[in-house]
Amino acid sequence: MSIKAFELVSAIERVKLMSDKAKTQIECLDVCGKNMYIGTSDCFVVHYSIEEKTQSNGRVTFITEKQGHKFLLVKKPVVQLRGASALNRIMVLCDNTLTLLNMFDLEPIVTGAKVKGVVCFCINENPLRTNPFSVEICVALKKKVIQLYTVTEDRLIHLRDVNVPDLPLSLGVDGIFVCAALTSQYCMIDMDGGHITELFPIDSEQIHPVIKRISKEEFLLSGPSALGIFATSAGVSQRPPMQWSDRLTAVCFVHPYILAMNDEFITVHSILDQQQKQAIPFQGGVFLGDFDGRIFVASGREIYSLVPIPFEKQIQALLADKRVTEALDLARNANKTGMSRDKFLKMFKTIQQQAAFIEFSRQQFDEASQLFKESSIDVREIICLYPHYLPAHSNFTRSVPPLHEIADINQLSKSDENLKAAYKDFLKTFLEEIKGTNFALGYKREVDVALLKLYAELMPEKLSELISVDTGCDLGDCVEWLEKYNRLHALGLLYQRHGESDKALGVWTRLVDSQTSDPSFPGLDFVVDFLANLTDHELLWKYVDWILEKDEELGVRIFTDRPTSEAQSERLRPEMVIDYLHRFPKAIITYLEYLIFQRKLEKEKYHTHLAVLYLEDVLKLMESNNVKKEELDIARSKLRHMLQMSNLYRVQLILGKAKEKDMHAECAILYGKLEEHDKALRILVHKLKDYGAAENYCQLNSQGKEPGYRKRLYHVLLSVYLDPSYERRDTLVAPAIALLNSSVADFDTLKVLHLLPDNWSIGLLSQFLTRAMRMGMHNYRMTRIQRMMARGENLLVKQNFIEMQREAIVMNDEKTCAVCNRAFNDSTFVRYPNGVITHVHCAKNKYVCPVSGKLFSVGKR
Amino acid sequence: MSTKKKADLKVIILGDYNVGKTSLICRYIDGTFRPKDPTVGAAFFLKQWGPHNVAVWDTAGDERYSGLSHFYCRGAGAAILAFDLNSSQTFESLWARFGSILEAANEDCLKVVVGTKMDLLDQSNRDITPEEGKKLARELNEHLDFKKMPHEPYFETSSLTNQNVDEVFQFIFQYCLPLSAEQKKKYGKGSVIDLIENSDEHKSTRRCC
Repeated sequence: MSIKAFELVSAIERVKLMSDKAKTQIECLDVCGKNMYIGTSDCFVVHYSIEEKTQSNGRVTFITEKQGHKFLLVKKPVVQLRGASALNRIMVLCDNTLTLLNMFDLEPIVTGAKVKGVVCFCINENPLRTNPFSVEICVALKKKVIQLYTVTEDRLIHLRDVNVPDLPLSLGVDGIFVCAALTSQYCMIDMDGGHITELFPIDSEQIHPVIKRISKEEFLLSGPSALGIFATSAGVSQRPPMQWSDRLTAVCFVHPYILAMNDEFITVHSILDQQQKQAIPFQGGVFLGDFDGRIFVASGREIYSLVPIPFEKQIQALLADKRVTEALDLARNANKTGMSRDKFLKMFKTIQQQAAFIEFSRQQFDEASQLFKESSIDVREIICLYPHYLPAHSNFTRSVPPLHEIADINQLSKSDENLKAAYKDFLKTFLEEIKGTNFALGYKREVDVALLKLYAELMPEKLSELISVDTGCDLGDCVEWLEKYNRLHALGLLYQRHGESDKALGVWTRLVDSQTSDPSFPGLDFVVDFLANLTDHELLWKYVDWILEKDEELGVRIFTDRPTSEAQSERLRPEMVIDYLHRFPKAIITYLEYLIFQRKLEKEKYHTHLAVLYLEDVLKLMESNNVKKEELDIARSKLRHMLQMSNLYRVQLILGKAKEKDMHAECAILYGKLEEHDKALRILVHKLKDYGAAENYCQLNSQGKEPGYRKRLYHVLLSVYLDPSYERRDTLVAPAIALLNSSVADFDTLKVLHLLPDNWSIGLLSQFLTRAMRMGMHNYRMTRIQRMMARGENLLVKQNFIEMQREAIVMNDEKTCAVCNRAFNDSTFVRYPNGVITHVHCAKNKYVCPVSGKLFSVGKR
Repeated sequence: MSTKKKADLKVIILGDYNVGKTSLICRYIDGTFRPKDPTVGAAFFLKQWGPHNVAVWDTAGDERYSGLSHFYCRGAGAAILAFDLNSSQTFESLWARFGSILEAANEDCLKVVVGTKMDLLDQSNRDITPEEGKKLARELNEHLDFKKMPHEPYFETSSLTNQNVDEVFQFIFQYCLPLSAEQKKKYGKGSVIDLIENSDEHKSTRRCC
């Protein structure tokens, strides 16, 4: 799991370093801005200026120049050295004594700013006070005391003491917390209360204790078994430990990398996943430190810098190795390097897209899909990997620089069909997910066309939904594609969608004629429905023939199932259609029925035509033998219904034919239409002997006519019953009596009495006579009551009128209208029953008094 | 893995070398069983429990990391004391070694005794009886209120067959971070809550062992 995160660049070579004494060795160094201070083993402090130059090829070089040096007179090594540029001072630990030097001329400050017996010290990077002209330091003393000082230009001001149980070897400080390595353990010290929290034991003989402040209140410690252990100032760990190499001497940290040095190597670890990322061979390192993000490392006589490789490069290297997770982790943390937010987001998206394609090429489809979405990729980038899936005339070119090295999915699947299917399935799922969302914005056509092609290939059942619901598919190469996969119904729908009805119908006729099975095609019904709703009537006629030849009963629906809102057109005038349909007997009947019963057209021509057609039907059935009786009955009842219901057909025409064929029932109806009731009833009574039908006839034909007409009809019927010229009249006595006694029938009693044969007994007629008597009495009495009531009413009205007229109203100039308060200029006026007088035009409602709002009775006329 | 988020509960697992601590955690977190390399120092996992974050710390069983285990125990709200059901020595270590390590944990730390490798156990020839285990569990948790627990904090598990693994964590989370009925409902879609329901059904099987 390696990555190149840093590059070793020489900063100061040995020749330039200092006095030529062979023993001279670098012990420590510090960098403040452009100044570098080096402490040596023979008690020199050397000052260099150092400048970083980035060459055009991206390589970093350092230009250094020696500024001066100072011998500290004790011949002991300089153990620690830190610059405090705010104070123009450097702090130097040499011979267990901490002193201050001037930053520029390296002269010691001799104001007594000095601490003796010091083991080590460190600067508090999270100081308690905020005075910018002071520095807080923590000092570990030999006498097992840890102290805090504030350092000013010329003084060290003592702040706090805490005693520790053992000799402190190393220190780290953050705020009020000091992390100290004692000879036997690490501990966390709260300098405020002096409370010591033990962290964990170490054997300082074996391990060089290292304490590195990582972030606010968090330290990294070198633990047993070469572990790097994180500890917070609360004394707990919030990250798992990391594995280092043995004999560690120094550690530094530049987000997100931790660099650890031993005799032979500098290893680079990521704080994100605690894994080692890089190992740089480096012999005899004595010092390693980070200074405001710059890392310097020193061997005995040479100084190098570890220059970070730019994040982009690192990430690209990871991506090239297909280490997607690491690359993304690193990228996410790259915004901590001071990149602007916009720039970062742009870079991060590109990286996500690259990562997505890597996952894609490894068939990690879930991850790929998520990354594609997160990075809001141009969906065409994906589609273009599938040969021919982009619309043919799309002018899309892949982004430059390329996001991936994939030619197409054929290359990825290496002609493994299963793999290829998996890729297609991925595309299908992905497109379905993004369809209609913001991701597909602006690429509707591309998405839909790709989906159409996929469906045509894999799931034809989904095609119709795709095409019919607001599709972005254009005709373009979709037509070709659908033809190729023989998805003819979908092709028809697509044509329809684009208003190319002619082509659509062409496809469907082909589909029907060729008998090829397209399971998604609903059959001829569909085409008929389509034609029935087609607004282009010219085009419609082109296919009518074809449909009717196939199935005339279905085909006629083109004319009968038209949308109700459709405007009438010349091409679909009923006459035209009827003329055309002559060839199709069934179709024409259906069409005429539609015209007459549904559209209720009242044209003699249609009605006669339909009646004649019905009649022909019946005649045909009658002529042919072995026709089932039911069939004939149905045909005849249809005819009768038509004859009865309609008043518009030419009766004589039908009657002639009906008489010819002895169709009595029909004749009866037709005579009825001609008002020749006697003939009609004679047929019913004599020929058909259907007395019920005869009574029914009277009832039916008198509907909506005045009562006298009705009485006449019944009378005709009775006279037919009692006709003395009919030889079998005896048989008609019973129905005659039944008719007389019927509660429905209505007679003029006197006429009936004249008609009745004299030889009938009273007994036979008693029921009829009683009823007639009662009826007569009843009518007489009812009429009287009505007369008396009318007279009473008349009296009342008269009384009212007199009462209203009794009081005289004097109209003079002083009278004003109660509504508008103006004088009456006219002779007409309105008086309400309560005496209010107004203009005629002011009286809005004669039932409501305009002044008091009183409601006068409306009921009184 | 980012650990920046402050965890609401720290759970630590302790126990002798090679009793299956890492396997137990991996079974719970990843739902898989694989042989593991020995843990170096410690390892760390994050788990969502309703609205809470739970940090699960896996420690190394090796004696030389004892000092570290002590350190990693600090602030632990619950500890799993794991032993190998087939090895009475690992059980005794719990008494001897790990009791003292846990002094660094929170005062009200819940200690759950968990026997591992149940799948290898010959039921007719056991070195450690469930009663002994429960007894240890009671003694370790003397300071706690047993009434808040459905039963003693003692489990016998197998990471290989996934027996009782989820129940251990369920027990701990339910005790330390009880979810209200509303929270359960809100987070009910996650696998977490399903397991509660399951655990109710399996309660009898757990009791009988």
